[in-house]
Amino acid sequence: MPGAVIRARGLVKHFGRGQSLVRAVDEIDLEVAEGETLAVMGPSGCGKSTLLHLLGGLERPTAGEVWVAGRRIDTLSERALAGVRRRSVGFVFQSFHLVEELSAAENVELPALLAGCSPREARRRAMLLLERVGLAGRARHLPSRLSGGQRQRVAIARALVNEPLVVLADEPTGNLDTAATLEVLRIFAELRAAGQTLVIVTHDERVAATADRLVSMRDGMFVDDTRLAAARPRGLGGLLWPED
Amino acid sequence: MGSLLLAVRLALANVRRHPAQAAMLLLSVTVATATMALGLSLHGVSDALYAHTRAATAGPDVVVLSGESGPEVSAALASLTDRPDVVAHHGPYRIVYAELTARGAVASPVVVHGFAERPGPVNRPLVTDGRWVRPGGTVLERGFADALGVGVGDRVTIAGRSYPVVGIAVTAATSIYPWGAQIGPYGGPSDYTGLAWMTAADARALARSRDLPVTTAIDLRLRDPAAADTFRHTVPDDHPVRVFRPTFRSWQFTAQHDKVILRNAQPILVIGGWMLGFLAVTGVATLAAGRVAEQTRRAGLLKAVGAGPGLIAAALLTEYLAAALAGHALGLALARLALPVVAAPTASRIGDAEPTAGAVVAATVLAVAVAVLAALGPTLHAMRTATVTALAASARWPRHRPLLNALTAPLPTPLLLGLRLAARRPGRAVLQACTTATTVVAITVLLTVHAQRERGYGLDGSVALPNLRGLHDRRLMLAITVLLVALAIVNILTFTWTTAMEARATMAIARALGATPGQVTTALSAAQLLPGLPGAVLGVPLGFLVYLLFATGNSVPPRPSWMAGAALGTLLATAALTALPARLAARRSVARELAAEAA
Repeated sequence: MPGAVIRARGLVKHFGRGQSLVRAVDEIDLEVAEGETLAVMGPSGCGKSTLLHLLGGLERPTAGEVWVAGRRIDTLSERALAGVRRRSVGFVFQSFHLVEELSAAENVELPALLAGCSPREARRRAMLLLERVGLAGRARHLPSRLSGGQRQRVAIARALVNEPLVVLADEPTGNLDTAATLEVLRIFAELRAAGQTLVIVTHDERVAATADRLVSMRDGMFVDDTRLAAARPRGLGGLLWPED
Repeated sequence: MGSLLLAVRLALANVRRHPAQAAMLLLSVTVATATMALGLSLHGVSDALYAHTRAATAGPDVVVLSGESGPEVSAALASLTDRPDVVAHHGPYRIVYAELTARGAVASPVVVHGFAERPGPVNRPLVTDGRWVRPGGTVLERGFADALGVGVGDRVTIAGRSYPVVGIAVTAATSIYPWGAQIGPYGGPSDYTGLAWMTAADARALARSRDLPVTTAIDLRLRDPAAADTFRHTVPDDHPVRVFRPTFRSWQFTAQHDKVILRNAQPILVIGGWMLGFLAVTGVATLAAGRVAEQTRRAGLLKAVGAGPGLIAAALLTEYLAAALAGHALGLALARLALPVVAAPTASRIGDAEPTAGAVVAATVLAVAVAVLAALGPTLHAMRTATVTALAASARWPRHRPLLNALTAPLPTPLLLGLRLAARRPGRAVLQACTTATTVVAITVLLTVHAQRERGYGLDGSVALPNLRGLHDRRLMLAITVLLVALAIVNILTFTWTTAMEARATMAIARALGATPGQVTTALSAAQLLPGLPGAVLGVPLGFLVYLLFATGNSVPPRPSWMAGAALGTLLATAALTALPARLAARRSVARELAAEAA
């Protein structure tokens, strides 16, 4: 597929060995086009999160290939993988995984600082993104003083701060109530409209319904692959850095 | 009883789950209590060894020495035996000053006491090997023989005459080797000198052969041995012995003089013991702090099933107390084994060396203090936390430090993460600095002790016979420094691993956001090195201060280059030591760490 941001071929991930062997991901082929929003659904333990970790270079596959932006990453060193995560991938986790002793703005600017951005530029981007997700007034708050929905919005802002090619979201609404879920859905809809490539692992039909494409997983394999919506204009469309 | 059993079972289960921690506590307390017990027992043991030797050799209460010799001197000394407070005596006898050469190479000053072949009722040297003097043969004092490396059957040359060594003996009438002379020729000062015995006739012949200096002595037993110290004052000025300027040596003086050889050993051991105790508390407290969340959950569980505060405190403290008391017992056993060597650097005394009661009590207090100081904070925290909160306790989140975060933002990733990691636990950073300072102080003092110029015990200060006191001090200082460095290494590994485990969620997030394993490894090492830096800088003046405490007029001060080298070497070693645990921690799977954090 030309323009594929993510491509996987014969992807396998096993845990354990012998009788306790678990085939978390079993011979999966996948391509995600630039600007596409892909939802991955399936029952608990079917391998969705493991697939996401493999695509983002957080886990190494037992077999198969993973390509991000035309570069094969499953053979890269840990150092090079870190570079891929810095520049090309943004993660959103179900448990938010914010650094508790850092404020919302400090959390959002952290990936930019790790990528070598100047503190001034990192803070500018962080404040802009917090404004986009409706949390400009909470920039100095610690995560412990934010609601679940607010924390997840901070995590989304953090995932976007380095302008990644793809955002990988693992159950982003799994820990949220209805109001917070709707707020996160609104942000994902904006990102989708802006042409941001998204891979979302979810149990939530409402989240899946916002995707361009839905794949279903069971026992580590894809059992269904459905296109849900027509293609939209590509490019971030000024969502992130309108001032640039 | 049931509660106690439960506390013990919980403690044993904890030990099984954390064997490395129990081993570390055991090791720390063992070395600290052993060193402390040794240091505090030294003087008591020296007294005990002297008392044992005195009893075994019918040691005199007072030895009266005159720098001169001849019939008038002997008569004057003998007239002391007419006093009603003198109940027995030995002598007067001749003391000849000569040079002794052993194995054709090692030469030393020696005093030869002319004794009867059948010793009298007072000052009966105990033969520990061979037999007592006979015509043509000599007996060497045991400490002297040991230093010379001479035994029964060897030959020694005294003032050019060759004598077979027929026996080895000890006496309480003189100070330990190398202070056997007590006074020098003609009553002047004496050099480091060994002691030998010959028959009275042989001693006389020896003196006449080379016209050697001779002094005279008599050994007295008093009706009241406790009055020996004041005996000299009871001899009137017009007594005949006063003409010959006598020197009075009471048994109390000799017992006290034995301790001269231990002058530096006690502070080395006692201060070393305190420093080791401090490092033990530091390391164990760090481990205990790293288990606060686990301890709090356990306390919550016990509260939930109806346990009272007493049982909870016992359950949480028993593990530490049991390990500390086991270490204490082991430490005392080691101290008992090491005491004969440490308390008696020469072989001039006989008897068993046991830790004194005071030392055992102090070591017990130290062991309990290590356990309680290390575990009290986490235990109180666990007991004070509400049951429901305790059941869900997780690691305490560090404070928000906006200024530090802003200041570190422009730094390279390893320093950015390292500084923020170090600031998460400021108390631990202080302990880390103190550990480094302690190590630098110990190494500086060791280097300084080794740099001191010492007069050997051989002829004219030759080092062919080494200075036993200096050698003893250097060996003790080396042993203490090795123990301190060993505990510091254990502590550094503990600091790094505990920091890595506490920060694993943050580090996993940093890696998910793009930090490399190398950057995380360097950050974890930097988090240990940064507090170590002021510690190393502080250790240099502290090391100099310790030198000043023990310096005498002719002491050689530590060179600035040594102190700088000690500080730099300690920092480099810290960097090297932190690398392995930091690397291990940094290479853990990010996905699994994040999953564990979410669970």
